[in-house]
Amino acid sequence: MVRMKPLRDGLPVLTLLLLCLTVVPAIAGAIWVKVFTSAAIFALAARGASVLYARLGLVNLAQVALVGVGGWTVLRLNYATSLPFEVLLLAGAGVTALIGMLLALPALRMRGLYLALVTLMAAGAFQILFTAFQFPNGGSGFWGVALQSPGEMRRPAIAAGDTAYLRYVICIAALGMLFAAWHERARPGRAWAMIRQSEANAMAAGVNVTVYKVWAFGLAGFLAGLAGGLLAGALNILDARSFAAGESILLFALCVVGGVYGWLGAVLAGILYRVVPALLNDWGLDSDLSLVLFGAALLHALMTAPRGIAGQLSGVLGSVGSAR
Amino acid sequence: MKIYGLFLISGLAVGSLYALGGIGLVVLRRATGVLNFAYGAIAAAAAMVCWQFGQWDFPGPAAWLSALVTGTALSLLYGMVVAPGLAWREPAVKAVATLGFALIILGVVSFLWDDAARKLVLPTDKMGVRLLGMKITVTRMIAFFGSIAILIGAVLYLDKTRTGLHMRALADNRDHSALIGIPVFRVETAAWALSGALAGFTGLMFGDLVRLDPTVITFTVIPAIAAAVCGRLNSLPLTFAGGLAIGVCEAMLTLVKPLAPLRSMTPFLLAALVILWMQRKETLTFAREG
Amino acid sequence: MNLRLLGLGGAAALALFALQPAAGAAEPACGLDNGEKATGEPIVVGGINGNAPPGDFSGGTDAAAAYFKCVNDNGGIHGRPIEYIVENDQWNPELAAQVATKLVKDRGVVALVGNGSVVSMAVNAKLYKDENVMAMASACAISDCYENANIVSTNQGPLPSGIGALKFAIEELGTEHAACIGFNIPNNGGWACDWMGKYMESQGRKSTALLMDPAAVDLNSVYLQALAEGVDTILLMLPAGPALGILKVAEEQDGRDMFKWVSPTPLYDPTVPGALGDYWNDSLYVNIELAPFDSDGPDNRNWNAVMDAYGREDDRRDTFSQSGYVSAKFFVEALLEMDPGSIDRASVTEAIKSISGKTSDLLCGPYYVGDFDRHMPNHAGRMVVFRDGRFDVVRECYDIESSYLDPIREQERQLGLTQ
Repeated sequence: MVRMKPLRDGLPVLTLLLLCLTVVPAIAGAIWVKVFTSAAIFALAARGASVLYARLGLVNLAQVALVGVGGWTVLRLNYATSLPFEVLLLAGAGVTALIGMLLALPALRMRGLYLALVTLMAAGAFQILFTAFQFPNGGSGFWGVALQSPGEMRRPAIAAGDTAYLRYVICIAALGMLFAAWHERARPGRAWAMIRQSEANAMAAGVNVTVYKVWAFGLAGFLAGLAGGLLAGALNILDARSFAAGESILLFALCVVGGVYGWLGAVLAGILYRVVPALLNDWGLDSDLSLVLFGAALLHALMTAPRGIAGQLSGVLGSVGSAR
Repeated sequence: MKIYGLFLISGLAVGSLYALGGIGLVVLRRATGVLNFAYGAIAAAAAMVCWQFGQWDFPGPAAWLSALVTGTALSLLYGMVVAPGLAWREPAVKAVATLGFALIILGVVSFLWDDAARKLVLPTDKMGVRLLGMKITVTRMIAFFGSIAILIGAVLYLDKTRTGLHMRALADNRDHSALIGIPVFRVETAAWALSGALAGFTGLMFGDLVRLDPTVITFTVIPAIAAAVCGRLNSLPLTFAGGLAIGVCEAMLTLVKPLAPLRSMTPFLLAALVILWMQRKETLTFAREG
Repeated sequence: MNLRLLGLGGAAALALFALQPAAGAAEPACGLDNGEKATGEPIVVGGINGNAPPGDFSGGTDAAAAYFKCVNDNGGIHGRPIEYIVENDQWNPELAAQVATKLVKDRGVVALVGNGSVVSMAVNAKLYKDENVMAMASACAISDCYENANIVSTNQGPLPSGIGALKFAIEELGTEHAACIGFNIPNNGGWACDWMGKYMESQGRKSTALLMDPAAVDLNSVYLQALAEGVDTILLMLPAGPALGILKVAEEQDGRDMFKWVSPTPLYDPTVPGALGDYWNDSLYVNIELAPFDSDGPDNRNWNAVMDAYGREDDRRDTFSQSGYVSAKFFVEALLEMDPGSIDRASVTEAIKSISGKTSDLLCGPYYVGDFDRHMPNHAGRMVVFRDGRFDVVRECYDIESSYLDPIREQERQLGLTQ
């Protein structure tokens, strides 16, 4: 079912990546540097949700909540230790991957909408927790919240400025997407493909269905955790309002709009999630009306582009995007 | 002891609101396969329209009717215009698409009614009886007994009427139903209209009993989904029971000091527990559609 | 104001308008007040508000915009007009960081005035500090706003206003045990109710914090919780919407006379009386942070005149709006004392920090900024009671006592504003 075309796939990816690394940060104003940083971060998170959906048909409506978990962990460790940013990032991703796996446990015997709602319940619970405890800002105690101006969230030494940080985020996002792509091509991807076809057959063929399903949730959590850590680095402090349950539903919807079968769809989801609202706001459109416009565009895209915008693009261009 | 009774009654009152939302969601989901995230937004629009008619000095019944009409109209609009375009998609995609509709409604409603202090008042707010020291207004009784009536009505409708039979057939298998000549479109239209009217009623109750704030009402759909999850998105009686259980637990948690500020998590935790409990005897390893 | 439906809903709109003082014939007075249009090189000033569901905090920037327009028509800053750029962060933390970056870095604003964004204050405090830009805010509700070197807000926020309400309740209503009902958010309800507790303790009285999730459906239980705790007073440390929700539950339970009802400023809003109803007559006391909307002082009259002449029709005329007017006025006065040729961010920041001892009939005490690590110039207020569809003043300006204000009092001593 999944046939990759590494060369044809790789060249445009590399070109786009180089373009993003060199041209975009150079010409964008400070606001757009911030906007693109957010977009790249959520593209990475979106990739986590889309792999889960594309490969196993599992719907994760808690991805943004998991980004919050990653961000919380990274901020907490930032103030508790003096570890370098990269270590914090990996630790945050690891913890979030574990939470993602926990989320998978009650969901192992379910599929489709019902499973989606189980994850949504988790997102709802996280929303209340985040609101009640907020994000560590350098205070003491387990929650690490003090009523004070937030302390300093360390950024990587090579990316202290906003523009350098954007480049850094793009690199990590690219690495994360490669990590996901590797999963799809290697052993887990083959196992997922069999599970998707038939769980019974997969099991008969010696595939450990439970492990690979949990693993997929772990991957989604890992990418969300990376995104959360990067977001904490970008904003210095996180706020519970970013991680409401509705946001998780929205990100999943945008994954479907972008296209779930490859990195390009996730990138589009990130752009739709963060760049488009910033553009509408910059154009001075009334915030209520931009909500209407955004909702209408979402519906329209879902109705007219079955394989997402990425699918349509690859139809037009022949090769760009991903393979199916 | 008396204090427990007080919170029990209060919990049942709030629980009936969750139940009401859950039932509206399940009715639609059973007949059309769509879980409507826009249910809360439709309810919010209905509540605002009702308030507006009240401001224009329309007689009460006209204003209440306007809420039901708004709900039905918005729900039908989506069901007739958008839903057919998504009929062939997976249930999860159908569900998240309704979020787009929710955003549109929320945007329009917030545009029309700018942020201001408002209150929705029904004449039944003034009437009531005392039970265990708590006054139960007729509005709360309407919410409670209304949801029971709707529950019974919906169950009878699905069991006894031809359209109900068709709805059940559709819920079981859409393609087969179409093949044996069930008028799928007509049945779905009926379901959208019914669910929309329920959303209008829900909006009226939330606007009166919780608060008249479009954003808050829009997102009450998430705890309402928890009630629906308790009923496996399928069973109306279980959804009703789930809603009441959530309300009562949430109210009772008020008495547990350290947990009281976090008691809004009840819907989500209870739904998760119900799922685990339902799975307790399953030995089947394979996933199935819920 | 919900005037967007004016064409359809005249009755509603009229009812709301009736609450406002009649538009006086008074001419607005702004800046140099010489009637000459400013044409020089613009001075770029920014403002950030939060206007999207769940709330509209745009009153401050609206009033500042109207005042600046008026200043530009009246000589500007010695001939230089103010270019005021307002951004809306839509209650979205990332957007808040983005628009602040745009204003501070891309547009190079000399200062931010009239800010009314809760989210932005939490997210951008560090940016303001790093970029050495001052924010003269108008609509704040969280601790971050009052505990930063680069942010000074004209409104009091929940803490002084809540303590003011409690002080009144103790002295006039005989409160012994108060419940503080607030949102379960650390830097909002948690912060404010915590200090309410300390205040009550310092007065030898009891208090109980009842916190709830902002999206909570179950307001009934919050009310019952107060009942179960045996409190005699309820302090509604909430925005107007949820506070009205609790009041409605209380009305349903006929709880008006079981408790004394007090609240900080949010319930003092032109749209609230219409939503309250006669039931609450003489039973709901609200602390107000600035002068009453219909008061007769020159600044309050001028605020109305400026809004009439330069505001937009749908501008809100609430406490935040008055507060935005005050911020803008003092900002302009500070600029006018500067050499118009040498106005840049560093000099403006310095000029703002040297503001001291300004007075206005809208404020009970002096307004000052100073070079300090926190700011809270406004902490004395008035008390009003709800009566027959309007609010009547029941206690004129009075200050509060709280150890929270110790560093603030020290500032006032240093600036020579108090002994």
